[in-house]
Amino acid sequence: MREIFFPKRMWRPRGDLKRRYDVVIVGGGSHGLATAYYLAKHHGVKDVCILERSYIGSGASGRNTTIIRANYRTPEGAAFYRESVRLYERLSSELDFNLMFSQHGHLTLAHSDRGLVVAQERAEVNKLLGIRSEVIGPDRIRELCPELDLSDKPAYPILGALYHPPGGIIRHDAVVWAYARGADRLGVEIHPYTEVTGFERSGDRIVAVETTRGRVECGQVVSATAGWSSLVGKLAGLRLPITTHILQAFVTEPLKPFLDVIIVSSQLHVYVSQTDRGEFLIGAEIEPYTTYKSTGTLSFLEYSARHALELFPQLEKTKVLRTWTGLCDLSPDYSPILGKTEIENFHVSAGWGTYGFKAAPIVGVTLAELVATQKTPALIAPFALERFYTDTLVSELAAAAVSH
Amino acid sequence: MSFLLECPRCGSRPVDEFAYFGEVTRRPKGSASLRELTEYVYFRDNVAGVQREWWQHRTGCGEWFLAERDTRTNEVLAIHLPQPERAQAGGAE
Amino acid sequence: MRLPPQPRERIDRSQRILFTFDGKVVGGYAGDTIGSALFAHGQRIFSRSFKYHRPRGLLCCSGHCPNCLMTVDGVPNVRVCVEPIRDGAVVEPQNVWGSLERDVLSITDKIGGPFTPVGFYYRTMIRPRRLWPVYEKVLRNLAGLGRLRKDGAGHTRYDVEHRRARVLVVGGGEAGRAAALAAAALGPDVVLVDETADLVGHELEGVEVLAPARALGIWEGGLVPVVAGSVLHRFRAERIVVAAGALDQPLVFPGNDLVGVMLPGGVRRLVRDFAIAPGSRAVVIAAGEEDLEIAGELREVGVAVPEVVDLTSTPARRIEAHGRKGRVAAVSVDGRKVDCDLVVASAGRQPAYSLLAQAGARVEYDESRGIFVPTNLPAGVEAVGSVTGEDCVTVDPVRTTKGAGGDKCFVCVCEDVTTKDIARAIDEGFDSIELAKRYTTVTMGPCQGKLCQLASIRLYAQATGVGEAAVGTTTARPPWAPVELGVLAGRHFEPARRTSVHFRHEEAGARMMWAGPWKRPYAYGERPEDEVRAVHDSLGVIDVSTLGKILVEGPEAADLLERLYPNRFGDLRPGRIRYGVLTSDAGRIMDDGTVARLADDLYYVTTTSTGADSVTAWFEWWNAVWGYDAEIVNVTGALAALNLAGPRAREALGRLVDDPDVVSAESFRYLDAKALVVAGVPCLALRIGFVGELGYELHFPSPAGEHVWDRLVAEGARPFGLEPQRVLRLEKGHIIVGQDTDSESNLLSAGMQWLPKMDKDDFVGKLALEHFAERPERERLVGFRMEEDVLPVEGAQIVVEGRPAGRVTSARRSEAVGGVIGLAWLPPDRAEEGTRFEVRVDRRLVGARVAHGPFYDPAGERMRA
Repeated sequence: MREIFFPKRMWRPRGDLKRRYDVVIVGGGSHGLATAYYLAKHHGVKDVCILERSYIGSGASGRNTTIIRANYRTPEGAAFYRESVRLYERLSSELDFNLMFSQHGHLTLAHSDRGLVVAQERAEVNKLLGIRSEVIGPDRIRELCPELDLSDKPAYPILGALYHPPGGIIRHDAVVWAYARGADRLGVEIHPYTEVTGFERSGDRIVAVETTRGRVECGQVVSATAGWSSLVGKLAGLRLPITTHILQAFVTEPLKPFLDVIIVSSQLHVYVSQTDRGEFLIGAEIEPYTTYKSTGTLSFLEYSARHALELFPQLEKTKVLRTWTGLCDLSPDYSPILGKTEIENFHVSAGWGTYGFKAAPIVGVTLAELVATQKTPALIAPFALERFYTDTLVSELAAAAVSH
Repeated sequence: MSFLLECPRCGSRPVDEFAYFGEVTRRPKGSASLRELTEYVYFRDNVAGVQREWWQHRTGCGEWFLAERDTRTNEVLAIHLPQPERAQAGGAE
Repeated sequence: MRLPPQPRERIDRSQRILFTFDGKVVGGYAGDTIGSALFAHGQRIFSRSFKYHRPRGLLCCSGHCPNCLMTVDGVPNVRVCVEPIRDGAVVEPQNVWGSLERDVLSITDKIGGPFTPVGFYYRTMIRPRRLWPVYEKVLRNLAGLGRLRKDGAGHTRYDVEHRRARVLVVGGGEAGRAAALAAAALGPDVVLVDETADLVGHELEGVEVLAPARALGIWEGGLVPVVAGSVLHRFRAERIVVAAGALDQPLVFPGNDLVGVMLPGGVRRLVRDFAIAPGSRAVVIAAGEEDLEIAGELREVGVAVPEVVDLTSTPARRIEAHGRKGRVAAVSVDGRKVDCDLVVASAGRQPAYSLLAQAGARVEYDESRGIFVPTNLPAGVEAVGSVTGEDCVTVDPVRTTKGAGGDKCFVCVCEDVTTKDIARAIDEGFDSIELAKRYTTVTMGPCQGKLCQLASIRLYAQATGVGEAAVGTTTARPPWAPVELGVLAGRHFEPARRTSVHFRHEEAGARMMWAGPWKRPYAYGERPEDEVRAVHDSLGVIDVSTLGKILVEGPEAADLLERLYPNRFGDLRPGRIRYGVLTSDAGRIMDDGTVARLADDLYYVTTTSTGADSVTAWFEWWNAVWGYDAEIVNVTGALAALNLAGPRAREALGRLVDDPDVVSAESFRYLDAKALVVAGVPCLALRIGFVGELGYELHFPSPAGEHVWDRLVAEGARPFGLEPQRVLRLEKGHIIVGQDTDSESNLLSAGMQWLPKMDKDDFVGKLALEHFAERPERERLVGFRMEEDVLPVEGAQIVVEGRPAGRVTSARRSEAVGGVIGLAWLPPDRAEEGTRFEVRVDRRLVGARVAHGPFYDPAGERMRA
C-alpha cells in the first residue's frame, strides 16, 4: 500500500554477469522466475541468475489467455494443477502484489453426448481428488451464464457443461512481475536481453553457459523456454519430444461487464472470457503445423469470430482490437515434461502446449525443490522426460488421433 | 489463411487447404530397442530452420508430397513428390 | 450552425435527417456523420474518459481516437465521427455516471491522482483475500466503455468475397491515386481501397475504387482483407502498394485533452467536409507547413486566429491549456495567455507504417525528422507517399511538458495515461517499451497506439537516455482498425452431415443427436429398451451409413493391408470378412472396422463413423511412403448402409431378393460378403454381428437409401437408434474405439492379444507391440457387472484405497442380461474373472465384479445362426 505513494523499484537494473552462479535459469518467464523465487525463498539458494533473451514475460507468459483451472483428465494432471490453483489463490498475498485472480468459474461446454462423457470422466476424476468439478445441464448453465445461446438454433446446441467453480482468470503480466520482484528482492539476478548461445559440456554435466554477454559457469541449469525448448535442448545436446506451434488470441474493445464465467468449447475450438478491463478475450486451438514464426493468420480470426458468435450472438458488432500470437511447445501426450534429464545438472520445464501458465507456481515450487535437493518431488515424478524413453505416457487426450 | 504452399499438381494455394503430417522421420527397420522405437515415435528435431515435412493437398487434389520449409519464415524452398521405399528398393518383387 | 457552402463539402443541404441523441431530436444533413451533425448542433462534449471521466470532445475526426465513442442503436463503442448519419438512429452517450455534462465519476479526476497512480490496482486490495471479489466487482463496473445488450442478437447479413488483384493500392490520397492510375495504365485488375468517403463517386480510369473501406492488415502470402460495410473482401494481390499516409501526432502539454483541443486533420475535416466552424477563436500550434496552413483555412471561414506557433522554427516553449468546465478557454504560450475556444495542436505527422510492419517491414527511427519510417519492405509490397516518411516531420511531442505544472499531460487519451504515469513506470523498473506498454497500458486502448506510440517512445527515450532507435516500437499487430466480429465471421455455415435416410428418421420421430460430424438418431421413442427387445426377439434396422467405407484396389492391395493392419488379410478368401484394428507405430489403437475381400485385388474396408477421413489419409500416407500398387478410394458419402438384425433377419431379407436360397444359412454364412440385389437395388451384403443377433449390413448407392429402408421397415424391421445399438453391442462386450479406448490403449491391454500376427515381417505398430509384450501391463480393459442395480456414469472412477485406480468407459442397464453391465479399465492385478472392485457412483462406492467374455449369448450362436 505504501508503494502507491512512494514508488519503489520493482527490481534492480540489470548488472554485469558474474563469473559463476550456483543455478542458471534459462528463460525469464513465469516458470523461470517462479523457480528462482522459490529457490531463494524455500531453500535459501540465492546465487541464481535468470537469462532472458528479451524482456521478462515476453514469451508465452505474456501471451496466454490467463485461464487458471485444475479440472484435468488424468489423476496425475489434476492433482498437479490442483496444487497450482491452491498456490495461485494465495499468491497475491504471498508476493504482496495484486494479481487480480478472479475465480468466477469455468464452463467447458459439451455439444454432443461424446462431449458429455468426456466431461463426466473429468468430473469423476476431479471429485475424487477434491477438486470442485461437476457436469451440469442447460438449466444450471443458464443460471450461471444467461447470456449464452442455449437454444437449439446453433448448429451445435449446448447439451451440458463441465462446471469448475475455482476456475478463473488472472493478470498474467502481474504474475511475471511479482515473481521477478520477489526473486530480485531475495538476491536473484535477472538478466533481460541476454540470449543463451551454447552450453559447455563435460561428460554428462553442463559446466558453463555461453551467452550473448559472455560465458558463465554454473552449478545447475534449468531450461524453462516453452516454444524454444527444442532449440535450447539441442544446444545442450538433448533431443526432446516436442513440436512448436503457434497459438493465437485476440481482444475486443472494452465493454461493461457482460460475462463473468469463462466459457470454453472444445468442439467449437474457442474460449471466451471478459477481462477486468472489459475486453473480451477470445482464443482458439493451436495451428496444426510447426513453426517459429509468430505471425497470426486471418483464418484464425475468422473461425474464432464465427464460433464465438455461435455462443454469443450479441457480440456481432463488437470490435476486435488486437490479435497476438505465441509459441507453444506441444508434447505427444499433452502433459508436461518436467524435471530431470539425462544430463545430470540440466533440468527442464517444457512440453506445456497451452497449459503452461496455469502451472507456474507449482512448477516453481517443485523445480526449486528438485534443484535444491536433487530429488524429484512425487507430484511431478509422472511428468519426467524419462516417460518418453520408457513409453509410459500420461495422456490428457481422450482419444487417439490418427497421426504419427 | 496463412502462408501459401505449392502443391505439385495445383500450384500455389493457401495453407488451409493442406494437411500437415509432420517432419520426416526415420522408421526403424526389422527390430528396434525400446529407446530406438521411442526416439522414432515421440522425439522430434523441431528445427528452427529448414525442415523436411509431409503435406497433403487435403481439400484440393489429395496429393501427398514433401516440402522443405524454413520454420522461421514459413518460406517453402522446395517441394517434391515422395520416393516410395519400394521404388527405391528396385520395385515390387 | 453551418458555414456558407464550402467548395468540397460533402453534405446535401436539401436532405434533412433526424435522429435522437440522449433522448432529444437532432437534425443533420445527408452526408453528415453522426459526429458532425452533433457538433453542428452545438454538442461539444462527446464522451467521458476511461479512467478519470474527463470530458472529451472531437479530436481526430477520422475514426482513430476514442473521444467520440457512443452507443448507436444499441451498439456500443461506435465512432460517431465517421458513422454515417441515418434517420431515426438512437444515439446515446456511454461510460457516463449522470450525464455527459455532469459525470459523478469525474471526482476521480480531482482526487484520484495521488491515490490512483499507474498500476495502483496491483498495490492495493490484496488483503483480505475474501474482499477481492467485492473490489473486483466495483473495478469491473468502472472499467469498460459501452454496454452490450444482453438480448441483442445480431441480424446483420455479412458476406465474404474472395478476390484477386494484380495491384492493390491501400490509401486514396494523392500518392495512392497516382500509383493506382500508373498501375492501371499498365494492365487490368487494379483496386484502390480508401477508408474515407472522399473518393465515393469519383472515377479513376481503369481503377476499381472501394470506399469507404479499410484494409485490416497484410497477412502471409499477400493476403489483404478489406472491410467495406458488411462485406469482407479477401484480396490476394500480386503487388500491394501501401499509401496509408501519415497520422497527426498530438502534442503533450498540460490540459492537452480539454474539449476544444483538436488535431489539424480533424479541424480540416469539419470545415471542408461538413461546413462547420470548429470554434470562433483559435490558436494554432503545429509543426510543418501543411499543418500550419490550417490557420489560413480557419481565417478564411471567419475564425479568428490570434496566435500561430510554429514549433519547427521556435525553440522549446511551455504550453498549457486552461479549461472551464472541461472546455478549453485559453492557452498559455511561454506564460502569455491567449483566450480561445479552439486549440489546433500537433507535433507533426508520423507515417502510418502499421500495415507495412505487419507485412514484415522493419521500422527505423529517423533522427533528423523525428519519425519512425518503414524500411526493408517484403517482396511484393511497396510504399508510396507520406507512409514512406516523405513530407513527414515531427517535433518532440513531449518537450512542451517541461516544467509543466497544473493540469495533467496526457500521453494516451484512450487509457488516460499521463506523463507522470510513464515517468513513474520507468522509476519502478519498467524500463523497456514493451514492459511499459503492459504496465501503463499506453497504446493498448481503442486507438492501438496511432496517437500515442510516438509520444510514449520519445518520453521513454528521454527518461532512460537510450535514444529512440534503441527504445524501438512495440510490435505492430493486426487489425489496423477495430473490426466487427460479425464481418470476420461472415455468413454462418456449420455443415451437418446427414445420411440419405435422414428424413425417414425425422418422420419416424427420432431424437437426432450429433455423432462426430453426423446427425444420427438416438432412439425413435422414449424407450430405447423396446428397440433393444425388438432386435433380440424379432427384427430391427439401423442406419449405419455413417460408417467410413474405403475401397482398396490393385495388384498389391493385399500387401498394403497386410502392412497396415496388425492382423492378416492376405489369406482372407474373396467373399469373406475379418475384423481389423488399426494401430499407430506407437502401438496405440486408432480405429477399427471390418475388412471384406471382394476379389483378389479388391478389399472393402469399413471404419468408425468419425474415422473415415483420417483412416483414408492414414492409408494414403503410408502408401506414399511404401509405394504399393494399390488405389485407395473413400466411398463413404456415396454409399448408404443399413444393418438388418434380429432372429427374423434371414426370412425378411429372403423376401426381398429374387432367390431366397442365396441368403440361406448354408450359402450366406457368418462373415460372408456377398453381392445381392435387395428390393431391386444392387447391394454388398456383409454378414456380421456387431449387435449380437443374426444380421446383414447392406451397403448400396445412397440415392436408394429411402427405398431400401422403406422396404425393410415394410418387412417388419423396427428402426433402432444409436442408444439401443450401444446396449446391444455392450451385451456382446464389443468395444467402441474412442469411447472404450483412449489415446494410450493398445491391443494387449484391450484384451485383443489374439489379434496381432507377430510373425508378419512388418506392420504399423509391430515394433511397439513387441515391447508391450515384454513389459508389465499398466491397465486392462474388462467387462463387469454391478452388484446393485445402480448405473455408473461413463467416466466413473474405480477407487482403490481412496485413490482413482481405473475408470468405467461404458455402462448400461440390460434387460437381456438382467442387470447393469459395462466395460472398465482396471489395474492388471484386479482384472481376473470375478474380482470385486468398487466404483464411485453419486458419492458412494458400489461393488462390481469382473466378467470376461460376452454377457449375452457367450457362444455367439445367435449371430452365427
